[in-house]
Amino acid sequence: MAVTAFLTDSTLCIGCKACEVACKEWNGVSEDGLDWSGFSYDNTGAVGHSTWRHVKFVENAPEPGFGGNAAELNSWSFSSDVCKHCENAGCLEACPTGAIVRTEFGGVFVQPDICNGCGYCVVACPFGVVERNPDDGRAFKCTFCYDRQKVGLKPACAKACPTESIKFGEIETLRADARARVEELQQRGMDDANLYDPTETSVGGTHAMFIVRGDARAYNLPPKPEVPTIYLKKAWTASAIGAAVLLGGTLAAFLAERPRSRR
Amino acid sequence: MTASRLQLPVVDKEQRLIEIRREAEDRGRIDSRGIRPAGAPFPRASVETGYYGIPLLKRPSWTWEIPLYFFVGGAAGASAVIGAIASYTGADRRLVRHARWIAAAGSVLSPALLISDLGRPSRFLNMLRVFKAQSPMSVGVWTLLGFSGGSVAAAFAGSMRERYGESLPIRILENAGEAASLLFGLPFSNYTGVLIGATAIPAWNENAGELPIHFGMSGLAASVGLLELMGHRRSRALQMLGLGAAVFECWEGWRLESRKSSAPEPLQHGSSGGIIRAGGILSGPLPLALRSASMLSGGNSTALRKWAAISAIAGSLLTRIGWIHAGHVSAQDWREPLRIRE
Amino acid sequence: MAENHPVGFQWVMEARERGAKIIHVDPRFTRTSAMADIWVPLRAGSDILFLGALVNYVLTNNKEFREYVVRYTNAPTILRDDFKDTEDLDGLFSGWDAEQKKYDPGTWLYRSAPRKDGREFPGHAEAGGGHGKDRGGEAQEVTNFDWDFSMEDPQCVFQVLKRHFSRYTPEMVEGYCGVPKDVFLKTAEAFTSASGPEKTAAICYAVGWTQHSKGVQIIRTAAILQLLLGNIGRPGGGILALRGHASIQGSTDVSTLYDIFPGYLPMPFFGADSHKLKEYIKKHRVRIGLWSNFDAYIISLLKAYYGDAATKDNDFGFNWLPRVTGDHSHYGYWLDMQDGKMEGLFVMGQNPAVGAANGRLERTALSKLKWLVVRDMVETETASFWLDSPEVKRGELVPEKIATEVFLFPAAGTAEKSGTFTNTQRLLQYRNKAVEAPGDSRNETWFMYHLGRRIKEKAKRNPAPKNAGLNALTWDYPVEGEHREPRVEDVLKEINGWTVSDRKQLPHIQNLKNDGSTACGAWIYCGVFPEANRNRANERAPKDLLGHGWGFSWPNDCRIIYNRASARPDGTPWSERKKLVWWDKDKKEWTGLDNPDYKKDLAPDTPDNLDSGVGVTGLGGARPFTLHSDGVGWLYVASGLKDGPLPTHYEPLESVVKNPLYAQQNDPAAQKKERPDNPYAESFGDPRYPYVLTTYRLTEQHTAGGMTRTLSHLAELQPELFTEVSPELADEIGLEHGGWARISTARATIEARVLVTRRMRPLWINGERIHQVGLPYHWGYKGKAKGDVVNDLLAISEEPNVRIMETKALMCSVAPGRRACGTGGSPVPSEQDQDSLTAPDFVRAEQAKPPVPHGSGRLTWL
Ligand SMILES: Nc1nc2c(c(=O)[nH]1)N[C@H]1C(S)=C(S)[C@@H](COP(=O)(O)OP(=O)(O)OC[C@H]3O[C@@H](n4cnc5c(=O)[nH]c(N)nc54)[C@H](O)[C@@H]3O)O[C@H]1N2
Ligand SMILES: Nc1nc2c(c(=O)[nH]1)N[C@H]1C(S)=C(S)[C@@H](COP(=O)(O)OP(=O)(O)OC[C@H]3O[C@@H](n4cnc5c(=O)[nH]c(N)nc54)[C@H](O)[C@@H]3O)O[C@H]1N2
Ligand code: SF4
Ligand code: SF4
Ligand code: SF4
Ligand code: SF4
Ligand code: SF4
Ligand SMILES: [Mo]
Repeated sequence: MAVTAFLTDSTLCIGCKACEVACKEWNGVSEDGLDWSGFSYDNTGAVGHSTWRHVKFVENAPEPGFGGNAAELNSWSFSSDVCKHCENAGCLEACPTGAIVRTEFGGVFVQPDICNGCGYCVVACPFGVVERNPDDGRAFKCTFCYDRQKVGLKPACAKACPTESIKFGEIETLRADARARVEELQQRGMDDANLYDPTETSVGGTHAMFIVRGDARAYNLPPKPEVPTIYLKKAWTASAIGAAVLLGGTLAAFLAERPRSRR
Repeated sequence: MTASRLQLPVVDKEQRLIEIRREAEDRGRIDSRGIRPAGAPFPRASVETGYYGIPLLKRPSWTWEIPLYFFVGGAAGASAVIGAIASYTGADRRLVRHARWIAAAGSVLSPALLISDLGRPSRFLNMLRVFKAQSPMSVGVWTLLGFSGGSVAAAFAGSMRERYGESLPIRILENAGEAASLLFGLPFSNYTGVLIGATAIPAWNENAGELPIHFGMSGLAASVGLLELMGHRRSRALQMLGLGAAVFECWEGWRLESRKSSAPEPLQHGSSGGIIRAGGILSGPLPLALRSASMLSGGNSTALRKWAAISAIAGSLLTRIGWIHAGHVSAQDWREPLRIRE
Repeated sequence: MAENHPVGFQWVMEARERGAKIIHVDPRFTRTSAMADIWVPLRAGSDILFLGALVNYVLTNNKEFREYVVRYTNAPTILRDDFKDTEDLDGLFSGWDAEQKKYDPGTWLYRSAPRKDGREFPGHAEAGGGHGKDRGGEAQEVTNFDWDFSMEDPQCVFQVLKRHFSRYTPEMVEGYCGVPKDVFLKTAEAFTSASGPEKTAAICYAVGWTQHSKGVQIIRTAAILQLLLGNIGRPGGGILALRGHASIQGSTDVSTLYDIFPGYLPMPFFGADSHKLKEYIKKHRVRIGLWSNFDAYIISLLKAYYGDAATKDNDFGFNWLPRVTGDHSHYGYWLDMQDGKMEGLFVMGQNPAVGAANGRLERTALSKLKWLVVRDMVETETASFWLDSPEVKRGELVPEKIATEVFLFPAAGTAEKSGTFTNTQRLLQYRNKAVEAPGDSRNETWFMYHLGRRIKEKAKRNPAPKNAGLNALTWDYPVEGEHREPRVEDVLKEINGWTVSDRKQLPHIQNLKNDGSTACGAWIYCGVFPEANRNRANERAPKDLLGHGWGFSWPNDCRIIYNRASARPDGTPWSERKKLVWWDKDKKEWTGLDNPDYKKDLAPDTPDNLDSGVGVTGLGGARPFTLHSDGVGWLYVASGLKDGPLPTHYEPLESVVKNPLYAQQNDPAAQKKERPDNPYAESFGDPRYPYVLTTYRLTEQHTAGGMTRTLSHLAELQPELFTEVSPELADEIGLEHGGWARISTARATIEARVLVTRRMRPLWINGERIHQVGLPYHWGYKGKAKGDVVNDLLAISEEPNVRIMETKALMCSVAPGRRACGTGGSPVPSEQDQDSLTAPDFVRAEQAKPPVPHGSGRLTWL
């Protein structure tokens, strides 16, 4: 079974949100709420339990503006966000029930029949992806369309994307494509095009890579995401010290008391 | 035929704009005040502002049960340790019994709180499908299980022994329970520090190396306080433990207050900072002062120790509430995970 | 295009990836602008100025594709000496009748071309009806006119064109479109350099151009530009109308419009048109070109309608056809409704309470009906006008007093029925039903068929002469299934046409006969069902780049119309790179990558015979525009348009500036329909309404919202009505981002959330800063996401040729804060607007009348 991945190319994204809607339709995701945000055309804000694909609208223009007929001074780019399906996935590591598993396609999948809603994955995800549905109690996120991949179909979001901004395929091929694409874009004058795929950090790369222009932080992509297991050593050491102090202290206190109580 | 003559912009009407343009043309950047409509600067997506300031991380979905669980677990774990050590060192049997009861009560209350917090309480047992060393929650649940078993067994056997007298099975149960309760009580008293330390929440993971000790000491203080409130206000051992915990909490408080990093902001500022600070004062300086006073007043004033106990318990509870709250605030801080500093 | 045709836009993106340049001309910075190489923000309603300046740029810099222009357009044709241009008459062409407010197009004709008939032809010119076949044949015989192939004659089209657009300069564009000169020149350079023998450039447009009081002329300007650059009939060229609803193209082909029959055959006019078939045919047939078979088209249609009852003796039932008696376009009959002249109405797949201009008038008019049938998948605002409308909330309408009986029928959705869609490129695609419609929902075919059947049953019992047509109508579609649904494929077979005697499917338009031996529902679709078991619309095996083998494109599965223009007059391709069809010398026929839309064996060197030739043969071998009687593309439209043979810059009906070019401010032929319940601001510079307002769509919502605001997955994406304003305007009037604004026009005041965005920017117009305000128009008072009805702001108006309303450019005022009365509807006019609004009076007067007894309009046979 091929290990697969997404490559989402914001230079090809037209912000149509077809991916977002297709995902909801295919997976029966619940309503996100009818709140108008005022954040450009983005009214769903972020990926979460009720939005597994989410299109970002990075609207930027120098401020203050020039008014008048200055045509050039706008940039509006769109990028479709999704669970990163981390190589070292915080959510998967943290899940105490084993509800979160890695599939044969390399995706990170929450088994809905096992999740008990402990919510620990929520605080373990460095990308703020997985979230507990308050009504249902369980944690939800992109399934990487495990059901579709199983039967040889593309994920619904990639299938719906009209401009092939969401590419789906074998991960190493996609990585190579991504690098080639960035190079091509730079040659075409988009010097700021770059690939977001945090392989250098403890996350160890993702199964959802992004090509963005400029600093990825404007797209809410963290520069140095870390899988929280890296804190375990420090924390358990502290725990052991704490336990030792507790044990030693108590022992000392009571031993010190003994002669006197015997008196 | 109307001749059309183009006019130049009405300069005076647009003076400010013209200035801005000129500035931009001349210097390639703009410092003047520019256009600031009401509500400006309106949300932007940029390297300075992040993605409209929408938080990257998700807030913990935990509700009020969890800080309470942290508090109860800490106190219960420490009590188990105190009970066992007191028993081994032949201390006052009443103290042992009370400590065991606190541990046992805590070990019943803890899972109840945990289950009540689960999104799907009916599926609590799913936790027991697997043991995952890399998941503090999994380790914690198994610890809780061992601890509960041990504590309940020890308390149960102890009371049986008191009512029906000694017997071998009861002794075995009591001793084994006591041992288990000690063994699991040690990590149980402070693993919650690991639990929140090893997460993606900056305010928590930046303190992963201290939180377990901090929580363990806070638990100890609470445990001592509870025992004192149950009447053990003349125990020197408890006084020493209480003093020790208070000294540690003073140091911890000082450490938190003096740290300079943008991450612990919620630990110092806002409502979460306030709660943590209040908790710190109630856990550290105040009981330290009261205990010192009680010792200095010669006769180990039980009244002062009562107040020290109350202060420590309240401090311990507030500390947990504060830390969980700080996690919420920290998760909302869009700057931190994006490494955007003002 | 990225906003509203995202799936089609993938090809634009692909072209961009292959090096194409994208230019986007739009007052707002949209998702399309974000993908474009050049964004040209211009003042809404100034497109003719902009395009005219491009035409002028081509002409003054000799950038035209000379040989193409000389041979394939009417540039060399010489006009009558008494023709006067708008440049001569300050904004009017010769022939303006100020009293009747319409043109006599007599002087617009080519020199030496006599009128076909000495009489004037009020017919279509009277009551709208610009949809049908062009009226070239109606006004003139094309023979005998003069031309000058050197194009030097001062009265030839080319020279007239040059003079006409000479004042459409980059400076004018800068001053009045608000497009800086350098941006304009960059655009002009990019566009013209992408045209020529080796290259082609395409223009895509949709309602940003059509929904103006001069919409047709905007598109005409684009056509002129494309003809001058040789971009028509060639691969990668063209003017592509990105049409609206799925199969809106189909709905004009097999027409739902009031003035045409299927295949763009003009509907006869009562009074103007003859009641004799022969006369009707004589009027509309053109000797030369494809329309020369007009008689075969109409007679085959009559045979399809009336079957055996249509005989030569009774003019094939011509007199049973209904006549047009006036302006029965949407706004025409809606005003009639408002005036109490209509009893009942069917609204099927439309939501005019939200989608149509002057919402208040639309809704109050409904209350004058005796009955209203709404067929929809959801309860629309139209269906619930009597209960939830702002008029009810304001007390202008009182539910208890509304006599209109409303029947709401559940309709089957697209996935719940089979049938064809005809898309923008005239491609018919058949699709099968995916799921059964739930509950009592039925599809349109079922409804129309059984409604017709019942009416016919009633008519049969009453053999009055008025029922003769009904009785003669064939209505024999085979039905199937539990609900007795007509088989749609059988309808398509009839549309394709068959021989009457043995019901054999016709394979080709050329098989249509004028003797009653063939029946055909829409001549242009002939060939879609060429054999009894071959539905070409349902074929899915593309064989080549143009997609032959996938669906069927009318006419004759030709994918690019007028494709003979892709070859030189001598029949060889203009260039290897851009070849499409060409003359194969050996086989002696037209061949190539597309089906030639030309007579296959008409050699390029066949001389034309316009004097006495007939049909396409009369055009000779090198006149590709086969629907035109002279076989060339029309830079100048001698007849057929009601507002002039050449596009001219007019200001919108409501404009913030005075027309910089002419004393004539607006398109003189446009219909304002001004009346107390449809008031206007001063036609320019009304100080009460200082800003330009434009309305548009969002990707996330669909038109009047019935299909999107009702679904959470879509409603949540754009959950609330908002207005887009520039920071400068926000600054000027104190609008707060995320707060509320009140937007007023002479018709109404509505409220919307404020989205301050740099994507809107003020423009310098003639030295003044002009603000534009944007409003998407998808919201209403039903569904999950609710909001004020933007169309309450708009005026009913009619473009003279196709009768569309002006939605894209009008005047408004904006103020911070919410409107007076709560949420969820349109407003009580604020004091500021009170004086310009008289509407509630007539509504109240109407309410005072005793109500019509309930149920008096009941249709017992339903
Ligand atoms: N998602 C989505 N897709 C749709 C629809 C929908 O509602 N939602 N509706 C369908 C239908 S019915 C139709 S008709 C089409 C319409 O498709 P479009 O024509 O694309 O629709 P609009 O958004 O109304 O208008 C297009 C643009 O015209 C601009 N504009 C306004 N005034 C002017 C002007 O004076 N000059 C120029 N050059 N531009 C101007 C507006 O800013 C807007 O961006 O879309 C179809 N597709
Ligand atoms: N201000 C402003 N106004 C405009 C425009 C603008 O740009 N600005 N654009 C104009 C344009 S281009 C258009 S096309 C109109 C659109 O305006 P409308 O046509 O009035 O609006 P829709 O919401 O498209 O209405 C279609 C209805 O058909 C229903 N429907 C869908 N499928 C079926 C079916 O199979 N059978 C039946 N019976 N019903 C079905 C849907 O639920 C929906 O309620 O709006 C026009 N109004
Ligand atoms: S992005 Fe978050 S939810 Fe997705 S795999 Fe990584 S850690 Fe898990
Ligand atoms: S909420 Fe569910 S998926 Fe997440 S960690 Fe807990 S059990 Fe695992
Ligand atoms: S892969 Fe499937 S579940 Fe994940 S975002 Fe795409 S459509 Fe949704
Ligand atoms: S479907 Fe494709 S183009 Fe549309 S928003 Fe999603 S990623 Fe972008
Ligand atoms: S809604 Fe349908 S017709 Fe419109 S763009 Fe999407 S796929 Fe095409
Ligand atoms: Mo439309």
